[in-house]
Amino acid sequence: MSSKKTTPNKGVLVDLTKCVGCGSCTVACKLWNNQSFQNPENREEEFRNAHGENVKLDSNTWTTVEHMKVQKDGKEVWRYVKRQCMHCQDPSCKSVCFANAFHITEEGAVQYNPELCVGCRYCMIACPFDIPKYEWEKVMPSVMKCQFCSSKLAEGEAPACASVCPTNALIFGDREALLAQAHATISANPNLYIDHVYGESEVGGTNWLYISDVPFGDLGFPTNLPMGKSVPENIHGFTRFTPFIFAGGAALWTGVHLYSKRRHAVAEAEGNEKHD
Amino acid sequence: MQKHEEVENKGISRRRFLSVMAGAGVVGATATMTGCSPVSDPSGTGWLPNQYRSASAIPAQVKGRVPLDPNNRSIVRNDEKCILCGQCIEACEKVQSVFGFYELPVQDDFICVHCGQCSLWCPTGAIKEREDIEKVNAALNDPETIVVVHTSPATRVGIGEEFGMPAGAWAEGQQVAALRALNFDYVLDTNFSADLTIMEEGSELVQRITTGGVLPQLTSCCPGWVKFVEYYYPDLIANLSSARSPTMMHGSTIKTYMAEKRGIDPKKIFNVAIMPCVAKKFEIDRPEFNAAGKYVHNDENMRDMDAILSVRELANMIRQAGIDFNSLPADSPYDQYEGIGSTAGLIFGNTGGVMEAAVRSAYYLITGSQPPELLYHLEPVRGLEGIKKATLNIPGVGDVTVAVASGLGNARKLCEDIRAGKADFQFLEVMACPGGCIAGGGQPRTAVPPQDWVRQSRIDTIYAKDNAGDVLDSKENGGTINVKLSHENPEIKKIYEEYLGAPLSHLAHELCHTSYTSRADSIKPKNV
Repeated sequence: MSSKKTTPNKGVLVDLTKCVGCGSCTVACKLWNNQSFQNPENREEEFRNAHGENVKLDSNTWTTVEHMKVQKDGKEVWRYVKRQCMHCQDPSCKSVCFANAFHITEEGAVQYNPELCVGCRYCMIACPFDIPKYEWEKVMPSVMKCQFCSSKLAEGEAPACASVCPTNALIFGDREALLAQAHATISANPNLYIDHVYGESEVGGTNWLYISDVPFGDLGFPTNLPMGKSVPENIHGFTRFTPFIFAGGAALWTGVHLYSKRRHAVAEAEGNEKHD
Repeated sequence: MQKHEEVENKGISRRRFLSVMAGAGVVGATATMTGCSPVSDPSGTGWLPNQYRSASAIPAQVKGRVPLDPNNRSIVRNDEKCILCGQCIEACEKVQSVFGFYELPVQDDFICVHCGQCSLWCPTGAIKEREDIEKVNAALNDPETIVVVHTSPATRVGIGEEFGMPAGAWAEGQQVAALRALNFDYVLDTNFSADLTIMEEGSELVQRITTGGVLPQLTSCCPGWVKFVEYYYPDLIANLSSARSPTMMHGSTIKTYMAEKRGIDPKKIFNVAIMPCVAKKFEIDRPEFNAAGKYVHNDENMRDMDAILSVRELANMIRQAGIDFNSLPADSPYDQYEGIGSTAGLIFGNTGGVMEAAVRSAYYLITGSQPPELLYHLEPVRGLEGIKKATLNIPGVGDVTVAVASGLGNARKLCEDIRAGKADFQFLEVMACPGGCIAGGGQPRTAVPPQDWVRQSRIDTIYAKDNAGDVLDSKENGGTINVKLSHENPEIKKIYEEYLGAPLSHLAHELCHTSYTSRADSIKPKNV
């Protein structure tokens, strides 16, 4: 666990009202992480952008900006939604990974190491935001996801995406300070913003935070998540019995085995006697 | 039996294989779980421009790029080539005052006036025009379709640069010859419709001045500027001249007047224009531009214009066809009926040119006599200065002040003056691109970002031609004529005599004028 952590968690505050849908962040992500614009599952297809309508995260697209037409005050408007790993403070992907491929850095980035990945895809099922993607096209596939530019963070730099945003829709900083800024922004303009900082307490808190003028549910954010408690915490009530179930199961089946072995031996001995 | 045992002895037994594999698995799993495997930081194996590598507290000065609707009619961007250098923002925000001049959140539109300056600034060519070459080729290859093309004034001082000629080289004849070689059926000159615009817009100005109409009158030839007004200054729409741009006048009159003169079924005509402009691609799709069909042919689906090619696209078509541009004749004339333009029409291609051409003919329209020598060299409105003004004394009217702006950032200043009631001019010419159409978003990328020496070279060539005043007569007539005034253009006289009647006539209104749409619902302009 990250018990030795001394640096405050870093985060990014996304102000969705300021996003103009230019997709700079998606290009920065591709440049910095050296990823192609090809669809990994369809090499025939020409390159495609990571921003636009109906864009999806995949193994070489760690962030997207989805162009969405939504209703706002009875009018159809464009809203642009950046998607990437939320970098949970207590991530369920990490808790389910038996290969220790996930690791939380000093700055709070949920870093994923493909060299340790065995390709089981537990994290894909565990993630409440549907972030990790699989390299379906590879012979030895790994899972892939946004790393929060952990190497840049370690040097005090903003992640690639946040560093290029022309409208400051993405602001990088200490999570606690960003949280205060988010609430200040909302209270300074309560008629514009929805009074909710997405990520403040969703699944126990994420390092990426969003504020918006359109309900988060309309923008494709999951809204049925446990609040204030992380997924691992939430299911601890029954997952803590796992060792006992395993040990109990082993003991039970060993007993059954020994019992049936004994019965078999007895039956065989009796049969032999009869034959004689 | 013996043979089988030999084979088995040479290989590994199944039991041994399994135990080795299981052993390796246990070692591997242990190494993995204890974290003994080499772990390198998996992020950031690529590259970012230096400006983004600073510590996070210092914001990069030039950041990101402009938003661009994936369905933008004029320009497209290839993200694979984008390096986030920020030059498009420099052009859009600092030069054109479009990006960054509206409040966020956005409404229902990607704010863009389609000027295409970003495509000239983009160092990697990631931003370029949306190509319509395939559409034009399909029309050219269809034997039933009659493909008519007209070429904008500024194209002839640009296209040569695509083929190694010096900046501003005159290549009118080569361009006409190349278009014929590409199998365009009729090659016409937009200088003609520029003259037609002067007749309509000049008459409108005279009417506004003499009858107390809304002043100052704003030119409406530039579709980027028109959309800029519709976004940012919808209250000034009444000031915009109702005259269409030359391209759109040409489109509607080709499918009516020229079709009639040549006895062609207008339904078979496919109208193409070669333009220094990418906003024209947006303009031709504006719903109101179906006058030829709506008013004359009873077919509202018939578009006045069918396709626009930038100069760069035409150059690509010429190269793809294997035509040696430089060896084409320099004196190939245009076809008749809307193929001859005066040099007043020619100077439409640079900043101040529309004004100078308009003033020459307005003088005539007001006084009935030919303009004085001064109006053939209206120096105060020439050159690359962003805002220019001149005051003229016109007998019977008195002093008239005209203003010229190129680059929308400059136009914005004058719009603010008008709004504040401080406008000291009666007529304003605006070209969205700095320097005018000669440096339009569809011109060759001879210097990146665009440079004044290229702009000036192109302008110099145009004024040199205007100074001489000689234009080639049509292919059918042959020879040369000298015509520096729009109202003196023999083909202009003919179209009014034979078809339109007079400037601002009912038919002229239907075919040569238009209306505008406020886009106030799609944008909340910032107070500047």
